[in-house]
Order: sequence, then structure tokens, then C-alpha cells
Amino acid sequence: MNNYTNDNTSRRYKAHVSIFGTTQLHLRNPYIIAWWSAAFPGFGHMLLSKYLRGYALFIWEVVVNVNAHVNSAMIYSFQGNIDMAKEVLDTNWLLMYIPVYLFGIWDSYRTTVDMNKVYLLADREAHRFNLFSLGALEINYLDKRNPVLSVMWSLFIPGLGQLYIHRILTAIFVIIWLVVFFYYSHVQEAIGLLFLGKIKEATSVLKPEWLLFIPSHYGFATYDSYMNTVENNKLFEEELRSYLMENYQTKGFQILKGQKVK
Amino acid sequence: MIHLQLFSTFETTELLEMAISTIEKQGIPKESIFAVPLDNRKEGRKIFDTLHLSDGTSLIDIGMGLATALSVIGASIGFKLSWGPIYWGLIGAFVGFMIGFAIRLFIELVVKKNKRVFKGKISEIILIVECEESQAGLIEDILWSHLALGVAKVK
Repeated sequence: MNNYTNDNTSRRYKAHVSIFGTTQLHLRNPYIIAWWSAAFPGFGHMLLSKYLRGYALFIWEVVVNVNAHVNSAMIYSFQGNIDMAKEVLDTNWLLMYIPVYLFGIWDSYRTTVDMNKVYLLADREAHRFNLFSLGALEINYLDKRNPVLSVMWSLFIPGLGQLYIHRILTAIFVIIWLVVFFYYSHVQEAIGLLFLGKIKEATSVLKPEWLLFIPSHYGFATYDSYMNTVENNKLFEEELRSYLMENYQTKGFQILKGQKVK
Repeated sequence: MIHLQLFSTFETTELLEMAISTIEKQGIPKESIFAVPLDNRKEGRKIFDTLHLSDGTSLIDIGMGLATALSVIGASIGFKLSWGPIYWGLIGAFVGFMIGFAIRLFIELVVKKNKRVFKGKISEIILIVECEESQAGLIEDILWSHLALGVAKVK
């Protein structure tokens, strides 16, 4: 059940509250979006709420990266061991990695620039949009959340911050892949050993090529949940203000020119 | 019948809508309620985004980006160092975040010269309720209990 049915009387809408989350257009910095695509293909598109292509690019990245050993080559390169970096790369997989990686960065940059224009037009049009959704599976509505709490939960487990602000599609995807990366990188085993002070053993149980996926996963989840909490709050405020102006500014209302009393 | 008006200010939260709804339930008609959303001073905005206040710039955007980058590099090199990849990855993330955060703060504080920072809560909406004198106490209680920032009665 929604409180507004799209009757196509608007050219553009700037937000939509649905069972799966609050989708909204807002101004974004194209360089920041492009950076997240560079950190991990798909993340830039997921920040733009373009989930299907985000998922596709992400899964592509994991499959091709693992098979081409791109992460291992990065580790060797950062260590200054260029020969090993060359050695470890699988040329049967490597070449197709590059165009898709660059496409992800370019396309998310381009889309951000375009969507910023769409936002400005939609904002000026200021048409009504759906802001309440009640269904058998979920309940979603506009309200205020605390961006600090989004960050805190994301830092515990990426995806929880998204659950907090009702971004179901990002939350599920991020949590599933976090489990995959945690399992294959053996990072929890290593952390257990670190608590016991066994640093060398901790290092040796780790699977480097899987470990390297984790920092960008944390970074993205934290940034995404923080940014969207702030933007959802702004949307809530805007909507409430226009509701008040539409409903609580009667022409006949007169201010009493009296005196302040106790 | 003596009329009386209650002036109050609020932040933009769902409590304000709750307050209006509760007042209407007490029999005050919609026409006797007047709300004015204020345009708040832009140059004095808070630097840190909070639950109640946030402006366009995201303080952590550069920070999270750099944290991710340095964490990857730290973890990679960490395989060779005595502290191992996890510690060095975390150190990289922390250092990256602090550098990015410092850059953003520098931009906000020095480049944009946003030196005047508000302390405390900001009145964002003025709400005026007209009612009979006998109801004034009740309405005032409703306003206060929904976290009005200030309330005044005018007769």
C-alpha cells in the first residue's frame, strides 16, 4: 500500500519510497562516485541506486579478479616485487578485466553528471512522490536517522548500516559477499590468532587475494550508509516543510497583536 | 470567548507532526494552526552532520576513499612486515581516513571560511496555534512535550 500512485503527471520525480528502500535523486560528486567504481567495480553504480548493473559489475570483478590473480599481482607490486607480479598474473583472464574495469569508472562518472541535471529539473518541478509504503514484506517511510549510528553499524558488519536506513538491496548484497570474503580470506581465524598475540601465524593463515577485497567492502558500506542517511534526512525535512506550507498556512489566519502572558 | 495564540519553534522532526496531530485531536481546527518553515542561516551551518542537521558536503567522503586505498596498500605490504597484514591494513585505513578528514576540514574551515559555528539547537519552524484561553495550558503542555524549543502565549 502506497500513499501515492504515480499518475504520470510529472515529467520527473526526485524520490520514491518503496518496500525495498528509499530511492532518491540528489546532487553527488562525480569524482567520488568514480573513485568507488575504481575501488571496486559496481560500487559506484550501487551508490547511484542502479543495482542491476552494480551487481553485474561486482560479480564480474570477483570472478575475473580471482582467476586473473589481479589482487595477488597488486600485493606483489605494492611490495616492490614486480617480477612476481608478472609471474602470478594469468594472461588467459587478464585482458578482459581491463575494459570492464574502466567502463565501470567511466559509466558511473557519466551517469552521475547526467543524474545531477535530472535532479535539478526534478527538484524545480517539485512534484509529489510516494513517501509511505506498507506491504506484506516490509514497511518503509520517510523519517530521520542518525548518520553516526549508520557508520557505527557499518564498521561492525558492512550491510548493517544499510539495514538501519532500509536499503535492503544494498544490505543483502553486501552482507552475502562479506560472508564470502570473510570465509575465503580466513580473516576471522587470523584475528583470533592476533588476539592471542600470534602475529606470524595470523599472517600465514590469511589468503591475501581474498583479504584484499575486504577494505573496499568496509569503505563502501560505511560511506554508502552515511551518505544515504544524510540525504534521507534532508528529503524528510524538505517533505515536512512543504507539507506544512500546503496545509497550515490558511489565508484567514491573523496574528494576535497582544502581549505575551505567563 | 477570549482567544489566545501560542507561538512556538521546533526543529524539523516527526515530533512536530505528532504535536500538530495531537493538537487537532483536542478539537483545534486546521485553520487555527499556522506553520512557517524558516530559511536557516547558511554560512553558520554546523560542520558535523548530525541527526538534526546536515548540509550538502559530506565530511567523510575523501576520508573513506583514502582509508580504503591506504588499507589495501597497508595490507599488501603488511604481509612482509612483522605486524602482518591485518594490523597494517587497519593502520592504513585509520591514517587514510584521518588524512582525508583533515583535507575536508581544511577545505571547510580555511578555504570556505565557515568559522561561525552554531552551538546548540536551531529553530527551523515557527508554529502558531490559536485557541480558547481555557485550552491554553493543555496546548502548551503538548508543545513542550513534543520538544518545542520555545513557547510563548500572546493574549
